[in-house]
Amino acid sequence: MSATLLGFSAGVLAQNEWWNNDPSYVTPIEESAVVAERPLGEIGQQKTSLDSAALCLTVSQSMADVLTYNSSIFVKQYGRGSLATVSFRGTAASHTQVTWNGMKINSPMLGMTDFSLIPSYFTDRATLLHGSSSLAVTGGGLGGAIMLETAPSQKPGWDIDAVIGAGSYSTWDGFLRVNYGGHKLKSSTRVAATISKNDFTYRNYKKKEYTYDKAGIPNGSYYPIDTNRCGSIRDLHLMQDFYYTADGGNKLSLNVWLMSSLRGVPLLSVDYRSGVGYINQQNENTLRAVTGWEKSGNDYIVSAKAGWLHTRQGYDFARDKGNGEMATMIASRSIINTFHAFTQGKWFAAERLMLTAQVAAYQHFVKSTDRNALSMVSSTAITPEKIAIGYDEARFESSAYLSVKWNATKNLGFSAALREELYGDKLSPIIPVINADYLINKYLTAKISASRNYRYPTLNDLYFLPGGNPDLLPESGYSYDAGIAFSRSKEGRWKFNASATWFDSYIDNWIVWIPTFKGYWTPRNVKKVHAYGVETRADGKLNLGSDWQVSGSGCFAWTPSINHGDPADWADEAIGKQLVYIPQFSASSVIALAYRNWRLSYKWCWYSERYTTSDNDITTRIGRVLPYIMNDIVLERRFAVKWSSISLKLAVNNLFDEEYESVLNHPMPGRNFEFFIEVTPSFK
Amino acid sequence: MCEGNYMYGNASLSYYDPDEKQVQNEIFARSNAFPIGDVVQSMVMHDGLGWVVVNNSGVIFAIDPATFREVRRITGFTSPRYIHFLGERKAYVTQIWDPRIYVVDSQTCTITDYIDTGMDFETGSTEMMVQIGKYVYVNCWSYQNRILMIDTETDTITKELVVGIQPSSLVKDCNDKLWTITDGGYEGSPYGHERATLSRLDADDFVIEQTFLFEAGDTPRALATNGDGTVIYWINGGIYAMKASDEALPVQPLISAKNELFYSLTVDPVNGDIYASDAIDYTQNGIVKRYSPEGIMLDTFSVGINPGNFCWRESM
Repeated sequence: MSATLLGFSAGVLAQNEWWNNDPSYVTPIEESAVVAERPLGEIGQQKTSLDSAALCLTVSQSMADVLTYNSSIFVKQYGRGSLATVSFRGTAASHTQVTWNGMKINSPMLGMTDFSLIPSYFTDRATLLHGSSSLAVTGGGLGGAIMLETAPSQKPGWDIDAVIGAGSYSTWDGFLRVNYGGHKLKSSTRVAATISKNDFTYRNYKKKEYTYDKAGIPNGSYYPIDTNRCGSIRDLHLMQDFYYTADGGNKLSLNVWLMSSLRGVPLLSVDYRSGVGYINQQNENTLRAVTGWEKSGNDYIVSAKAGWLHTRQGYDFARDKGNGEMATMIASRSIINTFHAFTQGKWFAAERLMLTAQVAAYQHFVKSTDRNALSMVSSTAITPEKIAIGYDEARFESSAYLSVKWNATKNLGFSAALREELYGDKLSPIIPVINADYLINKYLTAKISASRNYRYPTLNDLYFLPGGNPDLLPESGYSYDAGIAFSRSKEGRWKFNASATWFDSYIDNWIVWIPTFKGYWTPRNVKKVHAYGVETRADGKLNLGSDWQVSGSGCFAWTPSINHGDPADWADEAIGKQLVYIPQFSASSVIALAYRNWRLSYKWCWYSERYTTSDNDITTRIGRVLPYIMNDIVLERRFAVKWSSISLKLAVNNLFDEEYESVLNHPMPGRNFEFFIEVTPSFK
Repeated sequence: MCEGNYMYGNASLSYYDPDEKQVQNEIFARSNAFPIGDVVQSMVMHDGLGWVVVNNSGVIFAIDPATFREVRRITGFTSPRYIHFLGERKAYVTQIWDPRIYVVDSQTCTITDYIDTGMDFETGSTEMMVQIGKYVYVNCWSYQNRILMIDTETDTITKELVVGIQPSSLVKDCNDKLWTITDGGYEGSPYGHERATLSRLDADDFVIEQTFLFEAGDTPRALATNGDGTVIYWINGGIYAMKASDEALPVQPLISAKNELFYSLTVDPVNGDIYASDAIDYTQNGIVKRYSPEGIMLDTFSVGINPGNFCWRESM
């Protein structure tokens, strides 16, 4: 995808203070300057940048919500406020690498990232790197990578933004941001909190209740109205950013993000347990900290970062024994410590030539206990000893990257790169990447790229007890893509960008967890997958006079992801079929209509059916999750008073009250409402 | 019973008529217009009804075997595994994650009592049940190593017998001897790891009469017997069979696994035909193969996802 920005966003403009005089949502449109400003660093990259209008639509939205409506990647949600994973181009969630201010935040245990735990208001820039383009940032992104970043405020002096929200299902949101922009020092402090009972009701078509006559004979049945059980949410986020600009082109930064989350694990719609008298919840407390230094010279930029990621996770399953005493059945605990170091140098050797060298290192320490068991030796003792079933492992990972980017002519750019990865004591083969782009004319750019890629097994894949498989091979793949991007605008009037990309990927040794004959699961290198298809995106903005403006973006993806592995046995019907839970088609759109200080945003997404079995059998009622269309709207009104700007927002989610599932038998809410008041005091 | 995948809620029931050689899949959902739930673990026939234990849905459905329609429902369980009827109304229900054996009334569909096994919730679990006389024997599988002996008149545990790491299945033979397979745990388990065994137990004295040791790396499981209990069957890659009176394990399987993954097993109680399921890749519809008592393949039919257990309608 081409880099596309919808002109000035509301967030950026807010920082420029213009609306304190005129709180209109109608924003200026700048002229595109694609040809002149095509950066060397982005030659051939397939990239989508999400603007701050998308990131800051409502304070309650997570990055999972933002990606659902503003990108072509598949977001799999296990319920409202539950685990949400994303996957590019028909790959798995663990094939999406995620960085926060340059540090990878994928779980070293699971390989994936839960996007429901990332508030969009805690992200100032979000960039999607599709396929091979992710190798400029990190290895392992067989589908792609997502870069999440915070950025210093451009507004001088103090800036405060406070939001409170109330919504359906006893949901309360709060957000406070205090920014300070000094000449050299800039600071941003953010706090966000969410509490929700999340006890929505839904018509449960997976159960039936019966009616009886006076003699107790059933005389009818109905699908009951059920309640989302064990789904409560209590999240707290705290973030502190410091940015310091020193003399001599030096910049220093410190970003710290604290998160505390306690969430219920909602019961399936086919679960007959009441939820009352049970504890079924997961908690996570995470600290992420990154400090950085950057120095810019006339023809070079050097930078270094160091980071620490500390996570404590737990899952508790307990039930009331009937006497008020809760009996613990599962109490799994994990402690993750990751230390990170990164350095990079960019040298502009000539006007059209840039060399980049990059080294990143991660040291993971993971202690994980899944459950407790009795020690067999002492099992017959009066007070038998308990033993923890789990693992305590460390792994060092590092990645080195060298690239040359060269604008051979004004219209033609080449990029070649090599990446080498080390995990534990194993070295990946050299990973080559080649990109090129060509400016067909001042509006049209063609791009191609090709690369290898590897993703090594996670620590759970290798060491989980029982089932961890230390003999796993890394997943390996080849990826090719070619695309075309169009951008045209008329300053002050309209702007339009569009892109289309064809991609083709082959992934070998795809890791799948399968049951063993002893009742536990183990990962194996099973599948060979061919993922291919097309991604398209368009966005634009149009001023209709000085008071009206319409803007929008839309994405469409066709993503066949076909299993070409060896048959498990002669009866295997899965070969040549679409992978489980990957839609072949997806589309999304956001359209905003602004009239002075009113704005109406309409969000829409569609996913085609997702198969739940590897043989894609749809003759049964359980072989697929049906396609669904989701519609949300947000209506906003701004007021300017002498001391502040005030914004009122009303969000209606699932506008048409669609009954749907993202994952089989995981209930989702119907139409629901949220109301927000945002206050931004003026410090003139 | 097709387990489906854990947390998918895609379990199902398939019905096969050996005389007509016809199979009907997803019979519960088609008859009742709602799915059966998450992980169907087991089913028994009693009082003219089929009692289906749906493990991760925490429910037991009683269905009419002619129409497959739900006629009763028992809820309130933690994680039920097996149900065993003691009389017209009274039944035991074993569980995982809950060491209590629940006593239920099948007429009122209520839990009436619990049997305290002495284990705690975090580490205790109970599995299959076999009755000989007034005693019910229960194997404790997950990170356990024992068989319990329950007096059904007092609903109390009278004895325990340590048999080896993780006894996974339990049957009785024609001589009222108990047979159990221990899977031996897994390599690296802090609980311990040993070679799998097949043991014959004397139920009256509640002692191990004989233990047969499998080769290292073997994964025996899914014990079954023929109708009169004279032959013991199990899966260990292929399908093995030995007479209840044999004093040594068979060297060769009755049915070799060629290009298939045998998942579960049952034997026709009337004619001795052997039915073995193949879960293939565990995420697609499985198949069941029917063999003659001599091990000759007769036919194959498709069923639901992860066919993990069988129940004979004629045994009601």
